[in-house]
Order: sequence, then C-alpha cells, then structure tokens
Amino acid sequence: MIANAISMMIAIPLLGAVLSFFAGTKAKFVALLASLAPLVLSLQMYMEFDKTSKIMQFVESYDWIPSLGVKYTVGVDGIGFPLVLLSAIVSILVIIYSWGETNKPNQYFALLLLNEVGVLGVFTSLDFFLFYIFWEVVLIPMFFLIGSWGGPRKDYAAIKFFIYTHVASLVMLLAIFALYFTYQTPEGGRTFDMLTLLAATADKTIFPTGLLNIIFAGLLLGFLVKMPAFPFHTWLPDAHVEAPTAGSVVLAALLLKMGGYGLFRIIMPMLPSVDKAFVTIIAIIAVISIVYGAFMALAQKDIKKLVAYSSVSHMGFVTLGAVAFTWMSVTGAMFQQFSHGIITCVLFMSAGTIQHVVGTRIIADLGGLADRMPKFAVLMMAGFMASLGLPGMSGFVAEFMVLTGSYATLPSYTMFVVFLSVATTAAYHLWAMQKAMFGPILKKYMNVHEPHAYELFSMAMIIVLSLIFGLQPGLITDMMGTAATQVMEPVMTLTQMGVTGGVI
Amino acid sequence: MDFMHYQPLWGEALLTLLAVLIVLLGSLMKGSGKLMGYLSLAGIVAALGLVASNLTAKPALFFFDTISVDALSQFFKAVFLIVSLLVVIASLSKYTGKGADEYYALLLFATVGMMIVSSSIDIVTLFVGFELASLSTYAMAAFDKTKKNLEAAMKYFIFGSVASALMLFGFSLLYGMTGSTKLADIAAASLDSFGPATVVALLFVIVGFAFKMALVPFHMWAPDTYEGAPPLVSALLAAGSKKMGFAAAFRVLLIALVALRLDWYMAFAVLAAVTMTLGNLAACWQNNVRRILAYSSVAQAGYIAIGFVVVGAAYGSAPVNVFNLGAWPADQLGIAGALLLILGHALMKTGAFIGTAQVAGMVSASSQNDPDDISNYAGLASRAPITAFCMLIFMFALAGIPPTAGYIGKFVLFSSAIYSGLTWLAVIAILNSALSLVYYLRIISYMYLKAPVGPKVAEQKGYVAALVITMLAVVWIGVFPDGFIEWAGAAASVLLP
Repeated sequence: MIANAISMMIAIPLLGAVLSFFAGTKAKFVALLASLAPLVLSLQMYMEFDKTSKIMQFVESYDWIPSLGVKYTVGVDGIGFPLVLLSAIVSILVIIYSWGETNKPNQYFALLLLNEVGVLGVFTSLDFFLFYIFWEVVLIPMFFLIGSWGGPRKDYAAIKFFIYTHVASLVMLLAIFALYFTYQTPEGGRTFDMLTLLAATADKTIFPTGLLNIIFAGLLLGFLVKMPAFPFHTWLPDAHVEAPTAGSVVLAALLLKMGGYGLFRIIMPMLPSVDKAFVTIIAIIAVISIVYGAFMALAQKDIKKLVAYSSVSHMGFVTLGAVAFTWMSVTGAMFQQFSHGIITCVLFMSAGTIQHVVGTRIIADLGGLADRMPKFAVLMMAGFMASLGLPGMSGFVAEFMVLTGSYATLPSYTMFVVFLSVATTAAYHLWAMQKAMFGPILKKYMNVHEPHAYELFSMAMIIVLSLIFGLQPGLITDMMGTAATQVMEPVMTLTQMGVTGGVI
Repeated sequence: MDFMHYQPLWGEALLTLLAVLIVLLGSLMKGSGKLMGYLSLAGIVAALGLVASNLTAKPALFFFDTISVDALSQFFKAVFLIVSLLVVIASLSKYTGKGADEYYALLLFATVGMMIVSSSIDIVTLFVGFELASLSTYAMAAFDKTKKNLEAAMKYFIFGSVASALMLFGFSLLYGMTGSTKLADIAAASLDSFGPATVVALLFVIVGFAFKMALVPFHMWAPDTYEGAPPLVSALLAAGSKKMGFAAAFRVLLIALVALRLDWYMAFAVLAAVTMTLGNLAACWQNNVRRILAYSSVAQAGYIAIGFVVVGAAYGSAPVNVFNLGAWPADQLGIAGALLLILGHALMKTGAFIGTAQVAGMVSASSQNDPDDISNYAGLASRAPITAFCMLIFMFALAGIPPTAGYIGKFVLFSSAIYSGLTWLAVIAILNSALSLVYYLRIISYMYLKAPVGPKVAEQKGYVAALVITMLAVVWIGVFPDGFIEWAGAAASVLLP
C-alpha cells in the first residue's frame, strides 16, 4: 500500500512541469520520467484496488481553508479510477508521440504535464472547491497548446475554447455555490465536501425540487459543454482542427472525459430528486449528439475534423448510457469513456502524422498512402476499426453494452440511434480510410515514408490496449460495475427498475 | 509629552520626518536620487513593521479624539504601505536622477496622507489627510513632464479639486446641522430632523467620495489619468489613492451617516451594478493596456461598492453562521469582503501597472507609437518572461480565478450579498466577472500567443523585484486566505455597533 498515492500522482507531474520548463531541450526526458510516475503509481493502485468495494479508496483528507469549509480531499472509486488510469496511460503515450517536438519543447512538455495534473485532480477531487480549481487548471495548458502550437486560426480557436468552456464552468460554479450556501452541516457550518453535498440533495426539506432543478441544470450545462453534447459542441471542431496533435489527443481523450465523469459523479446521484423531464431532455441531447456527430463526420473534408465530429458522436453514447439508468447501460457508458479515451488517441495521432508527413489533411487530396507507409496504415486501420466498433476491440463492447442496456428503458431512442448512426459511423470511417490510404498511390506522394518509430510505438500501444480491453473488458468493467450499482441504488428505488446485466 | 503614548502613530511621524529630510537633503546633495529611494524604502519598511506588530489594535484615540488607531485603520495602513513599498521598489529602477528626491518626498507625503485618512474619525482631520494625499499625487501625475503627463495631471487635478470641494461642502452642511465635526457626534445627532438639507449633504458627500473611488458616472477622469500619468504613479493612484476614497467612505458613511442608510444604500446598489457593468464593457473596446487596466479598476470599484450595499441592507442584522467562521452578521461579512477585495485589488493593480511600466520602458526607446498600446505586448512571454508570467497571474487574479487574492475577495464579498438577500446583485457581479475575462484574456493572448515584436530584453531589476513580490503575495492570499479573512473581519467589526 503506497501512502498518499494520489497526492504523489498529482505532485510529481506538477514538479515535472516546473523542471521541464527550465530543462530546455532536455525537457522531453524530464517529461517522460515525470509522466512515468503516475503510470507506475496507478498500476500499483490497480493491483491494490478493491473492485467490489463501494466506498472511496486511497482517500486522503486535510484541512485547507477551514474557515470556508474547504478541504483537500482526494480519493477514487470505480467511477474515477479507470479515468485516472486512462489519464496516466494517455499522458505518457502523448509525450512519447511528441518526442520530436522542436518548437519551444520546454514549454510544450511542461504544458502537457500540467494538463495531466489538472485531469488527475479532476478525477480524484472529492471537494467541490478543489474540483473546480483543477477543472479550471485544465483550461490553461490547453489554451496555450492551441494558441502557441496551433494551426492558422489558432488565436481564434484558443480564445473561443477558453471563453466557451470558462463560461460553462462559471455556470457550474454558480450551481456549486447554490449547493454550498443551501446546505448547513450539523455543526452549523458550510462544507464543500462533494459526497456530503450530493447525499444532501436527496433531502427535500433542504433542497426543494424547484431549487434543485436550477442547480441541476447549471451543473448539467457545465458537463454537457465539456463533453461536448449537441448543441454545445461548436467549440470542439475549431479547437481540434487548430490544436497541435498532442493537444487534440489530450483534448479528446481526457478533457472530454471530464464532462462524462461529471455525469456519473455528480449528475446521476441527483437525478432521482429532480424533475423527470430532465431524463427526456438528456436522452434527446444524447441521441442527437450521436446521430448528428456521425452525419457531420460523414460530411467533413478534413480528416481531423472528421475525427473531431466522431468524438461528439461517441461521447453521445456516454450520455445515453448514463441516462438510460440500467446497470448495463451505465457500466457500458463508463466503459465507453475509457474505451473512447484510448481509441481516439490513435485517430488523432493518425491525422497528425498524415499532416506532417504529407502536408495536408484534406481527404480528397490524399490517396494510396498505404503503399509507402504500410506499418502506419495497419495501425491507422486498426484504430479506425476499433472506433467504428469492430467486435474484439473495446469500442464494440462499450457501445454494445450501452445500446443493449438502453433498450430496456429507452427503446425508441435506442432504435433511432441504431438505425441512423451505426451504419453511418461505419461509412465515414471506411470511406475516409479507403480514400486516404488505399487505391493507387498519387505521384506526388512517391517520396512519402513511414513516420518516426516513436509515433508508431504510441499508436501500437493503444491498439494493443484496445484489443486487451476488447477481449477482457472485465479487467476494468468489474470496478465500473460496482460503481454503477452504487450510482444506481437511489435511482432504482425510484424507478423500480430491475437490474439487467451480468453479460460479460 | 508622553512619547510612548503616541507609539501607534510613530509610523506617520517617521514618514513625515523622512519626507522633510529628503527634501532638505535633496537640495543639498544633487544627484542622490538612489539614496533617497533607499531611505524611503527603509522608512516604509519600518512603518509597515510598526503596523504589522499591532495588526488588530484595540481602539485608541489621539489628538482630542480626532485620530483613532484600530483594526480598520491598521488594515488600510497596511494596504497603503504595501502599495507604496512596491512602488518605491519599482521606482528604484526609474527615478534615480535629478528630481528623484522630490518624487520620493511626494510619495511619502501621499502615503502619510492616506494613513491619516484611514485613522480619521473627524471630518476635518479626514479632509486634511485627503488633501495631503491628493495634492502630492497631483504633482506626481505630471512628474515626467511629458505632454501626456501634463494632460493627465490637469484632468486629475480639476476633477479632484471639484470632488474635494463637493465633499467639503457636504461636510460643512453636516457641521452646520450638528455643530460637531466628530463622526460620533454627527451619528448621535438626529439628522432626519433637518429635512432636505440632510439629503443635500448626503448627496455631496457621496458624490465627493464617488469621484475618488471612480464610480460611474464620476469615473471619467480615471482612464485618462491612469493612461497619461507615469506608470508607477498610476499604480499608486489606482491601488493607493483610490482605496483612500473607500477608507474615507467607510468611516463617514458607516459611522456618521449610518442613520441615513436607507437613503444611501439603494443609491450604492445602482452605482455598484452600473459601475461594474460599464467598466467591464468599456474595457473590452480599449487598445491601450493602461486604459484597459483603468476600466478594470473602475469595474473593481463597482464590486467593492457592494460592501456598502450589503451594510445598508443588513445593518445590525442578527449574526448567522457564515461558512465555518461561526456567527457573523451579514454586514460584517460584507465589509470584510470589501476589505479583502481592496487588499487584493491593491496588490494586483500595483503589479499590473508596474508590468506596464516595464513594457513601456522596453518600447519608448525604439518606437514612436503609443508605448502602452496592446500591440507592444505581443510576444512578451519570450521578450520578458518574468514580467509576462507575473502579468499572467495578475490578469487571472483580476478575473477572479482561484486560487488567487482576487478570487477570495470576490468570494467573501459576493457571499455576503447572498447572505443579506441581495442575490440579484451577486449574480450581476459574477456575470461581470465572466465578462471581464474577455479583455484580460486578450492581454494574455497578446503576451503569450503573438509573435514577439522585438528581441529579448533585460528586465529592470527593480520592476522584477516588485512584480515577483506582488505575484507571490497575490497567490499566497489566495492559497491561505484563512488568516486574512479573520483579519478583515476584525477590521470590519470596528465599524459596527
């Protein structure tokens, strides 16, 4: 048992970020070491993690600002821990993928580490104040990554990203304050403690339904913008297209997951107490996101924008699964978060590699690249297959669980998704792949060669992970299942729904 | 004379003597600007030490009950001394040559004036302190004698004099009605019985203060003056002399005129809401960084004014459990929040203006255009990394992003509005905070995202020292706010029954 594992996991990359900043061209080595620590720690935690326990594990709690009731409390359960693991895996792979960065490498790697600090903090904080600080910390490195290393319209994209998501965070903050100012501890004080406040929302005498509806809407907005769900997704394509590859990977793989994490950690415990219309609204938003994202992806000329819209679509499954309320759909949605987190890395890395090897990402201008870069083509193909839901890879398991689970409670919505998006998703993936990589090679690409080994290595690692979790989802869904049962408990007493599941 | 009896006022005495000494020495020893700077530095540090040794002083009265040393006066003195200290540290890089002795002497006189205001419980003493600080800063605003300086100083002088005249007229009415210049006596007299004259007096006093605090619509001088004065003087004006307006307004409105609170609190509610909104909107359209900071300072004055509204609305209310502080009345929390924001804003603004001084110093040598134009901030991160990083923190702090001093002040202040049933005002204020991010982010994006407009430069040591100290203080207050909240609460309790 490692003492203070979570704090160390947050502190080491933070220290690494400072060191990288002053390390000049050696920054990448510092970054690699600093991001190795959370990976090792999280693997160690995985070994020690009690997958059947419903309570928070590895909890640390210290007074921080006693007069305001702010504590430094961190801990993980089946909701948070898979995402901690995901953050540790993705962060180190992104750093390896970016090994060749030569433009201000010290700042670049420092920002990537700072980003890791932020997301790890979000996934482990059990105090709303701390949670909000980490939530905001994440914005800053991403703002600079887009703004300093981005494409032609980077300034616009960076500022749009920052303002859009910051305004949503402020709405969320207002809702947090409403929770904070409404609930009084038994001693007559105030607290930001997340679990205490969430438990209190079930008490109608403290939180009347009208007030709770407003609070709920505020929190929901904060998370839906981050996910992003239709119609709050408009910042995402701009941010993705302009961001450097590592920025896009981190954005899609980790930052979007913060929204999904909020759904499970904060939104679901409140659902039984709020107006039932919210369930319908969220389900509609989820379905529109899935279908709209898929169709928008089909219409894109830029391969990176295609991948960006596919994220909107895939994240819609998370929302759908969460709101469908069955054990299987909730577990599936949590797994979709993890699975999309790893798979999307390959997609963005592929888009980034094509961009810097060939010089363009416009699908129509590409063709026959597989001829010159076969290894890359195999990995990209595997990634696209994983993303479209090829059985045997993690994406299939997750989406299958969500759809099957949702069918029990939301059959009409589910059927809509199945009919309109599953085929479309396959279509845009295959079409992009076929057009960009296969067919006769264009003359101008005769000199194209395989990308660097470190890029291929990162992509290969992710394919391997997707296969492992596709064939043995129990490795991670066990703890998610426990968490889902935990999350579902108040919901089920209300909706009188039986537990389906136990398929895997 | 019992020397020890006046121990709490040694700071003022020391700085006054020092200022006189500097004037004398300066006329004898030409070109000793640097020495004068260090002398001032030492004096201010000593005075600050005296204040720090007695932070939550038990109220003690001096000079026929016209001066009170209490927790509130100590709080404001600490703020003023810290601002002056930072300005002096930065000035060591700029004012070293001919005439520097006058600069430091004026700065010390201004500081003493502000300290007197924070201690005054008599309207005449208060006015004398007010004028001492104002007259010194009028001269400082024109110190570099450029055309812009003169224009700025002229505007500042004219508006300032009018404000002083209005305030003095209001005071004279109060004196005429009550027969006393002591705040406590004015409070004891039943002002309501004087009919319209009371309203007129109140109006003049509020307008006089509102000019100094730069509340809309009495703010017009502020952007012009902060833009045109030497940048370090702008720091002193925005962070120090403006806060003096608040110090005076707290004493006069909350002690002497508290019986009339129903008349003034709605006025302040409207002033606060309009000021923060207009200040933030206007800042979005500026291209001159010092004008942006000036309008941001106007907006911050709007936030701080919420303190008056809360006190007016919740004066004498029963204590409720606030946060985990135990039972506090909402009005105490309101004043404490305003004080915290005053402290935070004083630090952030001093830092930000010193940052502009650094940039202006980098530009003016080579180029003809406006040294404060935002285009000069392009690529500052690679040209002057320390300045850019400190500015980054100040911008985030001004926008109220945790964990910084700006955040904690806003948090306590807006909470007090909620506790006293003014949720609408808190919501307007929070929305305004979101709006303000637009222009702070614009400065940040110039500093960090644009291509540099020139080569890397050597940053001025004095500026860097002041910037780094300020930045650390801003973060420190944000990360460990507990002691500051309690201190502000103790200071606030002085004003309440």
